[in-house]
Amino acid sequence: MAKILVIADIKEGVLKGSTAELLSKAKALSAQTAVVAIGSNIESLIADMAAAGSDTQYIADDKSLELFSAGPYAACVVAAAQQFEADMIWFGFSEAGKAAAPRVAAQLNAACATEIIDVTLEGEQIQVIRPAIAGKVIQRIQVNTQTLVAVVRAGAFEATPGITGTQNMVKLSIPAPDLKAVIKQILSDASGEIDLADADIVVSVGRGARDQAGIDLVRELARDLSAGFGSSRAMVDGGFMAHNKQVGQTGKIVAPTLYMAIGISGAIQHLAGMTGSKTILAVNKDPEAPIFNVADYGIVGDLFEVIPILRQEIKKIRG
Amino acid sequence: MKILTTVKRVVDVELNIHIENGAIVEDGLQYVINAWDENGVEAAVQLKENNNAQTTLVSIGEQDNTDMIRKCYAMGIEDAILIDDPALVAPDAFAYAGILQKVYEKGDYDLVITGKQAQDTDSGQTGIILAEYLQLPCVSNVISIEVMDEAHIRVSRLGDSGTEIVEITLPAVVTVSDSINEPRLPAMRGIMMAKKKKIQVMDLAALGTSVEAVGGAAPKSEVAEFMKSKTRQAGQKFEGDAAQITAQVVELLANEAKVF
Ligand SMILES: Cc1cc2nc3c(=O)[nH]c(=O)nc-3n(C[C@H](O)[C@H](O)[C@H](O)COP(=O)(O)OP(=O)(O)OC[C@H]3O[C@@H](n4cnc5c(N)ncnc54)[C@H](O)[C@@H]3O)c2cc1C
Ligand SMILES: Nc1ncnc2c1ncn2[C@@H]1O[C@H](COP(=O)(O)O)[C@@H](O)[C@H]1O
Repeated sequence: MAKILVIADIKEGVLKGSTAELLSKAKALSAQTAVVAIGSNIESLIADMAAAGSDTQYIADDKSLELFSAGPYAACVVAAAQQFEADMIWFGFSEAGKAAAPRVAAQLNAACATEIIDVTLEGEQIQVIRPAIAGKVIQRIQVNTQTLVAVVRAGAFEATPGITGTQNMVKLSIPAPDLKAVIKQILSDASGEIDLADADIVVSVGRGARDQAGIDLVRELARDLSAGFGSSRAMVDGGFMAHNKQVGQTGKIVAPTLYMAIGISGAIQHLAGMTGSKTILAVNKDPEAPIFNVADYGIVGDLFEVIPILRQEIKKIRG
Repeated sequence: MKILTTVKRVVDVELNIHIENGAIVEDGLQYVINAWDENGVEAAVQLKENNNAQTTLVSIGEQDNTDMIRKCYAMGIEDAILIDDPALVAPDAFAYAGILQKVYEKGDYDLVITGKQAQDTDSGQTGIILAEYLQLPCVSNVISIEVMDEAHIRVSRLGDSGTEIVEITLPAVVTVSDSINEPRLPAMRGIMMAKKKKIQVMDLAALGTSVEAVGGAAPKSEVAEFMKSKTRQAGQKFEGDAAQITAQVVELLANEAKVF
């Protein structure tokens, strides 16, 4: 029986949905499951971690682990992987995961694959599926080592309803802080808005909105829908939107039920971040904009005219 | 400060990519400098201009890489090493990192700058693995670099909950995001000078290693097959009176797509 260790995705004291998604996939592969949780004041989440589908919980809970630092974070994962004798170590899609996974793989002499969307296990042979070249191709990767470290792309797996696990906490020793890369401060971009990764609907704004007034107009639509509010790189570069709002190849990868691209042309790097969405709506005044090639519904029009009508019509229908 | 910046030549993602029998069709492909490495080159050149850094570039590839290297020379890079060895067939990130480790050890570098990911692999591993091999501190997804003193830099990186400010003791490895800068267009004078500059070409033996020693003969993972990505079908596009078509689309979102 394969053993799969999932890195618990904890943000602001809450266990994120991706943990259950990864554990559900692990169980579907008939694997034994464990999680490793790293942070400060997280022991209280043990019950949630078990409920998400883990049978063992490796915990590194210490004040020194409050701010993410890749070295100590990777050290905790390696310790858990060795104690559990994991065949696979899965990170959910996050900057922390992307920074730590290659370190963990190097230390365990394991293979490493990022942005995976599927994984198969036949006997000892592990294979993964992942997009590459800005999403233009899909690769089937053959793993030649016994152990694989992977970063799972957002939206790849679904949580199985009714999944459960058992509580079995194992405390890890706390690694020394990395004195050569000292994290001094986090300038939070938290704007009180919904996290893009969690949002069921994402509304994204592009250069078509021109300026702050245009952005505010589109933000109102996002507010009406309690949607995540994202952006193309153009508006981040323009200084209008925070970095963590960027959707795309170098930004967030999102896969919501509904993605609304407002005044976004649909450059390949943007598409790489959102074509996993279930339904896509595009509003663009250029009928030839490439975004229409991926949109289920396209409104050709001036967003300054369309957005107020869109808000009104949505209000009518949702009551 | 001596900087080593890594640069990969990759397929141009803006062009169509065709797949036949599980492999990418070479015909019609064009190659460019990896976008994030161009940001890395720009970052290195800015450190040269503002902090008197010395800049060396390394690329692992084939002789075809020389055009790309000349472009980096024109941007302001001072020295370039090209690692070209026919024994390197399909290296994974570990093999690339193993080779870069040898290059690093031959110089006396204070800072390695890599791209956050290569556009062909989209994997984001090589720089981080290199740091592990070298036992150096590493910060990834960096959007600014500031020199504090000879032995320290302060960088900011995009993390999960915001911009993280990290102070690093040199030598170190950073991987850079495209948000770090806007790569310059080389000036004519630079382009002319770049033509005359030498590129140091080495194979693995000249580097004091071999394809086996860097793990290139037995990669930890390999691409077994390339497949077409599932392209979405263009759906329904509405043109005409804004009020009318918008109402129509909202109705479809609710009753056909059932998203509200
Ligand atoms: C290495 C690299 C990584 C990148 N990563 C990302 C990434 O992660 N995410 C990302 O988004 N981009 C990324 N980019 C940038 C990308 O290539 C595009 O430049 C960017 O996505 C363009 O943003 P945009 O669509 O908002 O702007 P534009 O391309 O300028 O498009 C604006 C659109 O708005 C429309 N428009 C204008 N006025 C109106 C109006 N009044 N009403 C309606 N529509 C209107 C126009 O027709 C046009 O289609 C990356 C690029 C590189 C090289
Ligand atoms: N063949 C190569 N030559 C030089 N640098 C490379 C090579 N492959 C990868 N790199 C560097 O490693 C970074 C990350 O690559 P990857 O891990 O493939 O996403 C790239 O942006 C480059 O800076």
